[in-house]
Amino acid sequence: MVFENPLLLGAIGAGLAVGIAGLGSGIGAGITGASGAGVVAEDPNKFGTAIVFQALPQTQGLYGFLVAILILFVFKSAPEWAMLAAGIGTGLAGLSAIGQGIASAAGLGAVAEDDGIFGKAMVFSVLPETQAIYGLLVAILLLVGVFASPGVTTIAALGAGLAVGFAGLSGIGQGITAAGAIGATARDPDAMGKGLVLAVMPETFAIFGLLIAILIMLGIMF
Amino acid sequence: MRPARMNKIRAVILDEKVDPVIRQLHESGLVELYDLSTKLEDPEWNALMLPAPSAEYGRNVASLTIKVSRILDLFSNVSVGEKAGLSGVLNPKVPAKKKLSFSSSEEITSYIENVLESVEGEISEPASKLAELENRKTILETLKDSVKYLSGFDLDLKFLGEGSYTYIVSGLVSQENMSELESSLEEATEGYVEIVKGNPVNKSEKEQKIPVIVATLKQCADVVGAELRKSGFERLDIANVEGTPSEIFNDTEKELLGIENETKAILEKLNALSQKWTDEVLVLHEVLEIEKERAEAYSMTGKTERTHLIEAWTPKKHVKKVQEIIESASEGYAVVEVSEPDEPVERIPVMLDNAKAVKPFEMLTEMYAPPKYNEIDPTMMIMPGFLIFYGIMLTDAVYGLLLTLAGLVLWTRMGKVSSGAYNLGYILTLSGLSTVFFGILTGGYLGDFMYQFLGMDIYTTGFALVNPLGESTYISAAKPLLSLGGIDVNNGPMAILLFSIVAGIIHLFIGLTVGLKESLSNGSVLDAFLNQGMWILLILAIVATVVTGNMMIAGGAVIAVIALCMIKGFMNGGILDALLGAMDITGFLGNVLSYARLLALCLATGGLAMAVNIMAKLLGDAVPVIGILIAVVMLVFGHAFNFVMNGLGSFIHSLRLHYVEFFGQYYEGGGKKFSPFKAKREYTSN
Repeated sequence: MVFENPLLLGAIGAGLAVGIAGLGSGIGAGITGASGAGVVAEDPNKFGTAIVFQALPQTQGLYGFLVAILILFVFKSAPEWAMLAAGIGTGLAGLSAIGQGIASAAGLGAVAEDDGIFGKAMVFSVLPETQAIYGLLVAILLLVGVFASPGVTTIAALGAGLAVGFAGLSGIGQGITAAGAIGATARDPDAMGKGLVLAVMPETFAIFGLLIAILIMLGIMF
Repeated sequence: MRPARMNKIRAVILDEKVDPVIRQLHESGLVELYDLSTKLEDPEWNALMLPAPSAEYGRNVASLTIKVSRILDLFSNVSVGEKAGLSGVLNPKVPAKKKLSFSSSEEITSYIENVLESVEGEISEPASKLAELENRKTILETLKDSVKYLSGFDLDLKFLGEGSYTYIVSGLVSQENMSELESSLEEATEGYVEIVKGNPVNKSEKEQKIPVIVATLKQCADVVGAELRKSGFERLDIANVEGTPSEIFNDTEKELLGIENETKAILEKLNALSQKWTDEVLVLHEVLEIEKERAEAYSMTGKTERTHLIEAWTPKKHVKKVQEIIESASEGYAVVEVSEPDEPVERIPVMLDNAKAVKPFEMLTEMYAPPKYNEIDPTMMIMPGFLIFYGIMLTDAVYGLLLTLAGLVLWTRMGKVSSGAYNLGYILTLSGLSTVFFGILTGGYLGDFMYQFLGMDIYTTGFALVNPLGESTYISAAKPLLSLGGIDVNNGPMAILLFSIVAGIIHLFIGLTVGLKESLSNGSVLDAFLNQGMWILLILAIVATVVTGNMMIAGGAVIAVIALCMIKGFMNGGILDALLGAMDITGFLGNVLSYARLLALCLATGGLAMAVNIMAKLLGDAVPVIGILIAVVMLVFGHAFNFVMNGLGSFIHSLRLHYVEFFGQYYEGGGKKFSPFKAKREYTSN
């Protein structure tokens, strides 16, 4: 125990989870919102569509909020470093919302031109959320106490959180690719498959992060 | 499992008999006409026949369409219309179809002209009266506006304009130009001018203008006009009125009021007429649209002196019927030939051909891309995976029930008029049922609502199999589900994670097997092995490792696969590609790990529902008296939000797993959809 009350580190983790993820979601939703305002000015009927697209980058903030609640109310007895790492991982991975915001803005723009592309634009816009989901996944694994290795109970846990968190920033790159792919698909609906392949590439790095996080948690190191 | 097999139908038909053939094919909706115009540019074909023009009756149809559209416009303008309302949207009325059948364009034209005559007979008088009233209204309103500025003057406005000796004009001058104008007018007319100023008025926020009346001698009119123009004088056009401004103002207002009443009466009359005739006119409109399509269909055919050549695609199962239609409609004056597709595959139209229970899921396939003609149709394989994944990701019995109800409304009510709503409603209903199933399995009823508010922990009872956030009666540290390589699967999250990965591996395995079969039938055994076969072996090796506990099997397989990937890369493009090929294994790993989102999203729904419950409880306990009310509001809005967010999220993530991970193994898509030559009938039936 570093501190008398182990929840102290947990509280910092909860704060970082809500804070950083909220930052990402705020920026992402802002980017989509700006596009939405333009679309609604052209066609007020598109308000509902704009709201749906703007909802996508907000999920990261929700995941941050969820992990904070889990730390503070449910898994209070988890190892202290695990709590901090869970918060940091979810928070940083939540910055993928910036990328998702970029993709959603492009998706909304495409739908404003052609309603028929709604489903495809949705699929592309949701790609950069994977990173945040990996963050959430690692946070849960850290908290539920499946692993009792030094990778969870010591300061090493921070490594797991940082790995999945920073690798989660690949979501920004993925969002940019997805935005481009939406443009391509809007022009040629057959481009969807190839666009998906390109847009999934940046996810590789999130998977590396997830993998390293799992190895650390399993205690397979040194 | 494949798109419907297609045949090409080629028919040579005698001129006089073409029209009934086109009509009946259009009604049947079984064929897609093949546009011959490009083919006929070929000199060899061109020597035989020419591209046919659109049918002559098309022009007639176009002019009637304009008339009908104009009437519909008028009706939509005058309809005060009862608002459709929520119940109207949720349960739309299906218009009664009017039974009409015609055998020739002349019949249609005369029918439409007949109906139009009686419609126009009734509406033309009130319609022109309405136009007249609207005209008069604009005139009066401009007059009223002009006269308003002159309200301070006590002058009979009939004197405005040119008299026998005088010229009087009224208008507005901006304040700063006033004195300059006065002096210049004085000078130009040598004093024969009288300027009467009124009280300044605000024309807009910034500028104040002064209404003036300028009187001068007739012979000075030209110079006065020139000076006025120079000063930015804004002339008020008032003519043919009599009386002082305020009298006129009052008169116009009175007349406007009269016009308004009259307009109202006429609108009511027209509205009654529109209620009486709208359905009938919509029928006409539809008949004309159908007729227009037929007329245009001619331009896809080829023409010799006495015959037409029609080519069309039709699904194999309809060939007989199409043949019969052509032969009976042409009364035998036709030669029909059926052949196998003679075009490159990408030009053959693709019609998905699934059982009725699966058909709505074609929507999901087509959202990605319809399959190529010789490719497998993945719809059947999407259905089970999509529903299972959806259910796991949303996992809440109450949310599932809500979704089922919403889906049912969409499917059975709105689906009556929209096929999109029908398909989506069907998919959502099944997804909802799947969610209810998994919700019960994981004990999710509005999250942990029962625990927070009723104090009942369902996971200590036998009613829930897994607890996504911890231990349950069946899976706990005391009762681990199983033990894998040193990790005990002894709580809910681990059990769900294990399930997710296993489901992912099975899903990928299915995709790879299908892909292997496709590759084997299309190409070499080597390609099939390098594209799918080795991954299948890798999965089998992993399974063997788990069963036997011997890590060597999986390790060896991984090394072998990496080597094979490098060889494949080398064959494709040298050293660099070989190095990149080594990365393929991480792609495969990524595909498997991607299914871990099932756990994360399952927890996100349950966890956020729990967060809503916790907050509602805190609020309810903290605020005295009205706390309960606030807690209820929090619960309703919180759960509604969570339901919508995660319902949407589960839908797209379930789709993503299919589009990216599953399709990646075997599906490409990109076929041309079969678009039948079919009469769209909403208000009529044949």
